Amino acid sequence: MKSIIKLFIPAILLTIFTITSILAINNRPTEINILMPAPFADSTSILVNEFNKQYLGQIKLNVIRGPLETESVSDLAISSLLLDKGSFDVLLMDVTWLPKYAAAGWLKPLDYLITKEDLDSLAPGAEIGNTYNKKLYRWPLVADMGLLYWRKDLMTSPPKTPQELLKVSRELQKKGLVKYGYVWQGRQYEGLSCVFLEVLKGFGGEWISKNDEVGLNSPSSIKAASWLKELITSQASPLAVTNYSEPEALQAFESGDAAFMRNWPYAWSELQKKGSSVQGKVGVTTMVSEPGQENTATQGSWGFSILKHTDNPEAALKAINFLSSETSQKYLSLNNGYTPTRKSLFNDQELINNSPILPVLEDALNSAVPRPITPLYAQISDVLQRQLSSLLTDEVTAIEAMEYAQLNTEQILISTGKLQ
Amino acid sequence: MISLLLIPASLLIFLVFGMPLIRYVWLSFHASSVITGLIPIPNNGGNWIRLINDLRFWQDTIQTIRFSFVSVTIEIVLALFIALILDQSCKGRGVVRSLTLLPWALPTTIMALGWRWIFNTPYGPIDQLLNHLNIGSLNILSSPNLTWIATVIADVWKTTPFVALILLAGLQTIPEDLYEAFRLEGGTPIQALTKITIPLLKPYIFLGILFRMAQAFGVFDLIQVMTGGGPASSTESIAMYAYINAMRFLDFGYSATVMLGGFILLIISSFTCFILVYHSTNVQEKITS
Amino acid sequence: MKRTYTLYIVIITWSLAPLLWQLYTSFSTTEALIEPFNFTVSSRWTLDNYQQVLTANPPFWRYLMNSTIVGLISTIITLIISIPASYSLVKLKAKPQKIVKLIFFSAALFPYVLLFLALLEIARTLNIGNNLIALTIPYSALSMPLALLLLSSAFKDIPSELEEAARLEGLDIWQRLRWVLIPLIAPATASTAILVFLFSWNEYPIALTWLSNEKLLTLPVAIARIAGSSVYSVPYGAYAAATVLGSIPLLLLVLIFQRQIVSGLTQGAIKG
Repeated sequence: MKSIIKLFIPAILLTIFTITSILAINNRPTEINILMPAPFADSTSILVNEFNKQYLGQIKLNVIRGPLETESVSDLAISSLLLDKGSFDVLLMDVTWLPKYAAAGWLKPLDYLITKEDLDSLAPGAEIGNTYNKKLYRWPLVADMGLLYWRKDLMTSPPKTPQELLKVSRELQKKGLVKYGYVWQGRQYEGLSCVFLEVLKGFGGEWISKNDEVGLNSPSSIKAASWLKELITSQASPLAVTNYSEPEALQAFESGDAAFMRNWPYAWSELQKKGSSVQGKVGVTTMVSEPGQENTATQGSWGFSILKHTDNPEAALKAINFLSSETSQKYLSLNNGYTPTRKSLFNDQELINNSPILPVLEDALNSAVPRPITPLYAQISDVLQRQLSSLLTDEVTAIEAMEYAQLNTEQILISTGKLQ
Repeated sequence: MISLLLIPASLLIFLVFGMPLIRYVWLSFHASSVITGLIPIPNNGGNWIRLINDLRFWQDTIQTIRFSFVSVTIEIVLALFIALILDQSCKGRGVVRSLTLLPWALPTTIMALGWRWIFNTPYGPIDQLLNHLNIGSLNILSSPNLTWIATVIADVWKTTPFVALILLAGLQTIPEDLYEAFRLEGGTPIQALTKITIPLLKPYIFLGILFRMAQAFGVFDLIQVMTGGGPASSTESIAMYAYINAMRFLDFGYSATVMLGGFILLIISSFTCFILVYHSTNVQEKITS
Repeated sequence: MKRTYTLYIVIITWSLAPLLWQLYTSFSTTEALIEPFNFTVSSRWTLDNYQQVLTANPPFWRYLMNSTIVGLISTIITLIISIPASYSLVKLKAKPQKIVKLIFFSAALFPYVLLFLALLEIARTLNIGNNLIALTIPYSALSMPLALLLLSSAFKDIPSELEEAARLEGLDIWQRLRWVLIPLIAPATASTAILVFLFSWNEYPIALTWLSNEKLLTLPVAIARIAGSSVYSVPYGAYAAATVLGSIPLLLLVLIFQRQIVSGLTQGAIKG
């Protein structure tokens, strides 16, 4: 009898232990890992805490703070996706990454998860860049678009055409009112491609058509490139723009040295800060275009994608919905100056009071154009930047530069198997 | 029968060194990119045509050659100096040797990160010193004309000990009597250096150049961590471009082509180097004899 | 004599200065970091950086562990394969021996970073990414040429009469290797082992492509990943602490095995 009890006690203990541990495992919340570039990880940290409080015991959202440089974030994600299913469930993605990830088969189509109401709640233009081959892969968090900043104290209305922009710049410079006419991003990096895309569309050109035809050596493309070059030769833009990225352009404009600037929405709140010489004197509009062509703004947005191999797409979706909800976007807009993607927020009085340019941003978003939607975008953009940069620094002519960019781009399409 | 023992080692070496090269030659005639789902499809030499017109590849080639040539030259000179000092018998030589070796033994990435901080603007010591001297900031890591020099300094710091040891080995093969005899004939120490040490050290110098050139040509760790190839890809090496093509652009076919192209250039330039050194040795021998 | 010591100090300063700067940075507070030469800053020194690194997730010692595991296993595999192979290499006839050695020599010269793509393809096909043990296979293979060159030159130095005598004693080939030859090449084996260990500990490009899981990273990759997030200077003290912690094991290795490392490298130079 005693021996039976002796046998039973461990057995009972074991059973209790097993049951409790199974219960414990079942009670463990579903973990969702999101990889974000460091600045986003910082700005969303309060929202993430709130989410974890709300879903306590059900979902645990971990934000993995990626590198600061956006390309390094993508490198990190790719290096894990190339090996196995990767250690993330959700990725905060730049608009230019999406085609590559989608084509590689790493993303989960969201069509069946996102309702039509959700889609309708997006501001026009915010839906751009979320789809690849007609499938939805990304849900936008922040909108971003190229803008033309102008000085209200120097003119009554902004120029509409490239020629006007150049003329007004030169006149203001000749009058000695500003040192430079127009400052933009001319350094050899992604910003230069964004600048060029707006000008290209303004002259009626096309980078890559829907049928994969490269249009860089078309007359309009060459006109667009020549115009950028003319900005520098006519001295409307200082030679130094060939080494400008966003901060340098902002600095020149902020100190009152320039009449026009091409930049992103974040610049506006910087210009209103104390110490800015142009506080309250700045107007915002979209990039100039030839008569008959549309004004466009290069779209640069961030959004969430669910990785294909995640075990918990529903929980991931809850996290995405929470972080990109109207409340969250309002918080991010008030605290970090992020441009929302939900239609209703553009009419929100509190946000407009905080950022009076919101209606302009809505218009700009409406005329946003995506950079070529191709998995090969990074290489193709690099080729264009290189040629534009050597054009601007006086090594080649516009025709030579664009012909070479055309040749290089076509060769990339052939070598990667896109074209035969 | 005994030579069967060589098989596992040879197999491993073939697997890791031989197979990849064969695979690259094959891949370089195929499109294997994100477009094809990383499945190779023949593309009629499209990769090679692209390589020839690819300005980024040529810029990287020039940068790689410039980097290799400048750092290896400095390393040989410095290493000779260090080897001569370490060759003197003195108390505490062991510790000095250990400490000199340390830069070589550390992982490149550790000190690449360290150098990045040293050259940092405005908080790094170099920038701070320049500011104290009222020279002003040089923005070393963001000016394309200066950044590559910073990478050369970091590379020289790290690999000179290795070259110094090779030269030290050479110094120890030179019999002491030679110097003794030379001194008796009234030769100065400087003359001894140019007449005895350097000529006799030539095979070792040559070996050092050979090893270091091959390594410098494949420079990757240092650049990737210290500058990421920037600013404006001015410090990007061929190996880095190949890496970016594979891991960032998901284009394995072109990445293989870039590596093969780089490899062919390496062989051509080492061959040229070899001929030049060989030629100059002959000429010198003719003059001295 | 005195001049030699002065020159010693010059060399040591050159070798250690960048490291000492890291050490100095690693004990500095954030306020001290932005004014490195201003010693009047109050609260100049701190241990927070180390605490931060050691309590991070995963903690820093994890990377040291991973590197040690990879280093040790690679070294053992390399030795097990290369010792018998070098023995048989020495037994080859002169001409084939020369050819085989030449092949190994060019493999040792080869900038191995160029092999990463093919190795990545292997890792993907066999699904052995994120596996520390699997990583030791390419490491052993990459160290093989150097190991073979060093060990075969050591075998060659053994007088043939010695082995002959052992053979006459009736020892078969395994016994001869085990009891006579291997003990005789012990110094060369030690040199080879330490060089292979250093290579595997420090290797970066292959580890970078074979490992992505945070908990499995080897030290060089972990450091590089940290570097990726240090574009701005703010949390630099912690990075410096990481580099100091990562350097200590190697400092010890170099101090202890200086003789073996030097003789390994110089043997390679003389005989190669």
